[in-house]
Amino acid sequence: MNRHSRFPLVALIVVALLGYLWWITPSAIPPRPATALARGGTLTGALRAEPRSFNRLASRDLSTEVVTLLTQGKLVRVNRATQELEPWLAERWTSSPDGLVHTLTLRDGLQWSDGAPFTSADAAFTIAAVFDPNTKSVLASSLEVDGAPIGVTTPDARTVVVTFPRPFGPGIRLLDNVVILPKHRLESAVAAGTLSQAWGPTTPPAELVGMGPFVLASYEPGQRITFARNPRYWRRDDTGQPLPYLDRLVLEIVPDQNGELLALQSGRIDITQQQLRADDYAAAREMERAGGLRVQEVGVSPDPDVFFFNQRQTVWAKDPRGSWMATETFRKALNHAIDREAYANTVFLGAAVPVHGPVSPGNKKWFWPDLPRYAFDREKASALLTELGLANRDADAFLEDAGGREARFTMLIFKGNTGLERGAQVLKESWERIGVAVDIVPLETGALVERMLGGAFDAIFFNYVATDPDPAMQRDFWLSSGSAHIWNIGQKTPATAWEREMDDLVARQAAAVDPAERVRLFRDVQRVFSEHLPALYFAAPRLFVAVGPRVRNETPGVTRPQLLWSADTLAVVGDAPAR
Amino acid sequence: MTLARFAAGRALSGVIFALVVASLSLLLAHAMADDVDDDPLAAPESRAARRAELGLDRPFLETYARWLAGLVRLDLGQSTRFRRPVRDLLGERAINTTLLAVCALLVATGLGLPLGRLSAVDPHGAGRAVRAASLAVLSVPPLIGALALVLIAARTGWLPTGGMTSREGLTGAAWAADVLRHLPLPVLALALPMAATIERLQARALLDAIGRPFVAASRARGLDADAAARVHAWPVSLAPVIGTYGVLVGALFSGSFIVEIVTAWPGLGRLMFDALGARDTWLVAGCGAAGAVALAIGTTAADVVHAAVDPRVLEAQR
Repeated sequence: MNRHSRFPLVALIVVALLGYLWWITPSAIPPRPATALARGGTLTGALRAEPRSFNRLASRDLSTEVVTLLTQGKLVRVNRATQELEPWLAERWTSSPDGLVHTLTLRDGLQWSDGAPFTSADAAFTIAAVFDPNTKSVLASSLEVDGAPIGVTTPDARTVVVTFPRPFGPGIRLLDNVVILPKHRLESAVAAGTLSQAWGPTTPPAELVGMGPFVLASYEPGQRITFARNPRYWRRDDTGQPLPYLDRLVLEIVPDQNGELLALQSGRIDITQQQLRADDYAAAREMERAGGLRVQEVGVSPDPDVFFFNQRQTVWAKDPRGSWMATETFRKALNHAIDREAYANTVFLGAAVPVHGPVSPGNKKWFWPDLPRYAFDREKASALLTELGLANRDADAFLEDAGGREARFTMLIFKGNTGLERGAQVLKESWERIGVAVDIVPLETGALVERMLGGAFDAIFFNYVATDPDPAMQRDFWLSSGSAHIWNIGQKTPATAWEREMDDLVARQAAAVDPAERVRLFRDVQRVFSEHLPALYFAAPRLFVAVGPRVRNETPGVTRPQLLWSADTLAVVGDAPAR
Repeated sequence: MTLARFAAGRALSGVIFALVVASLSLLLAHAMADDVDDDPLAAPESRAARRAELGLDRPFLETYARWLAGLVRLDLGQSTRFRRPVRDLLGERAINTTLLAVCALLVATGLGLPLGRLSAVDPHGAGRAVRAASLAVLSVPPLIGALALVLIAARTGWLPTGGMTSREGLTGAAWAADVLRHLPLPVLALALPMAATIERLQARALLDAIGRPFVAASRARGLDADAAARVHAWPVSLAPVIGTYGVLVGALFSGSFIVEIVTAWPGLGRLMFDALGARDTWLVAGCGAAGAVALAIGTTAADVVHAAVDPRVLEAQR
């Protein structure tokens, strides 16, 4: 080998060594300075997907929700950290003793971002637009009580009177679902029946007017959305300083979650769209030790993953496996076969708490710690399977029914969700130990939902995200007629006696206005659920968020968007690193 | 056959190819349940109404005829995911992917050809290291390669970790300079595996050419080994390498799919990913058509260049 031919090899080794030395040296991150909150600066966050619209009445995807949270205002809002209702554009309200009439008083002197006065007419206009059949608003059902729309009158410019068709326990909490739109800008679109197309992604930012802390400055499709401070925003901090603190807020479109975490590490973004995945805790903690970011535990997720069998009787009438698979006994046997502590440790790497029903400890107000539990007991599980006539009748490890059919079912899961994939594997292995075989089939979201809606499945294991912790706001899940009654959607009449009982309890709970009565009734709902076990729950993850070293004053909540729900109080110190 | 006639024939094949691929994309997209409502649990009536509004409730042949008629007017329908005309979305993203693809092709060629030559003329020295590096790069899947580059960028801060620009509102030279700063990461992610492929092909082709009688004859006339390889063997060895560029252009577009997602580059690959995720029928078909057109242009250009440098291609057509 001559001298010239050796040179590239030597160079390669030198480069590799330099690379390694650089690799093991942590990035130099300036220490966090102790600076008081001050106005100014730009915070950069991330969105995984682009918004479908800037019009919350037309679209309910998370990106649209984030954009409208930043640019629009609500009459009242649910504080994502405390889960309590708090005044917003309305500074106070009173409710009639029967819970039917709620009178809200708007703050004085409010202005839209274009300077036009904000009045009760805007609130009445928005509610009417939601129920306008031409709008076909995605929010219409969320503003109905038992299928009937709420009514709104406006005795004067600062008073909004909301009338419910029936008593409704959560009261005006349901107004957290809707942002108020400017009548002076959108009246013509409603008159023309085109509100659902208004404020689409191509609308010039100057045309978007709101009551939120920010106004849209620019939207570069596929790249970023930039917001500037709304100079007419109404809110001030405790010291009287006008909010928001930030001059600008930029949301970079980062479709890949791995890329998002690396962007946070490099300082390209300051906050992520939502909580860290369980797989990322260790890496994030490592980065925290190096000073690159801060990791905070937010609390327990209110939405544990859920497993359920298809319980449409029409499906099982044609399938002989239904004689055991569609029974409560079978579900109870499977429930007894899960070691929830081990499940939490394996699936969420220890960052989870075992749960026994759909309401997790993350739902502070409605969690019932004394809910009856199914202890981990494989012997009991096997005994229940024997009761169903399932026994091992051949040489393999699985049980068979009297007809020789193997105790086997297919479990559909969302493709690409590592947490669900790991959870499904743990369930499969646990159930195989009591002789029940499971085939896991990962599907794209749309395909899985289509199978669920069409009733073409044995069992599904997925994540169902509730919109509000209050059970009366989740009646689509609890009621047998509900569109999210996942195990048997949209029944004309309750298929079982216990679903009829649950319907009655849920209706009474939603109509009760006495808080103690509501809690008691919802415990009854949970008791019936636990006795008949239409769906199985195993663990709820602890949620962590990570923020960059410049971020101050974050108040993360357990529901999405964990940080941007309170964007007006977010602050930054120092300049953003060159990106 | 003349080169012009050959080029015209290839162009016609390209048009047919693009049309077939686009039609198949539409067929597949139509067969998927489209996510016309962003609420997966929306009432069936609401989904049906939205499908009817977008014309997705019609039989495939009727849909196809309507789509072909629209294609003539460059009207590719409305995206359900983005609520915008598909043509506008494709226009915005195609230019970004083209920029990425052209740069990646140039970098891959710039690295692959000389390294391949080095590998062939010095197989036991530098060539050994080059060969090992090529095999290592080729064995890394594009996703891992792209993530590794983003990780390096995040650790060093030498390059932006993703995106196409750092901030909004840049224009002119400032915009171009900013895009240039963001280009290396996705370009390297795409170009490195391709450069390794070219290097391997070039080395093999050059070794083959060096062993042929006309090179031995040139050596017998007194030319040294380096000069014989450079002047006589190398031009001949280029022909088979150029012949593979059509395939490489295809790999470029399929590779850009994952690289654009990981590096947040706003191109066609990412658009296709979004369209597939949302089962956005018209957009999937549009992206399929755009990808097929790009592939047809790339392969046609590669074939024409191949024919220009290697007369045997034209002779074989006679």
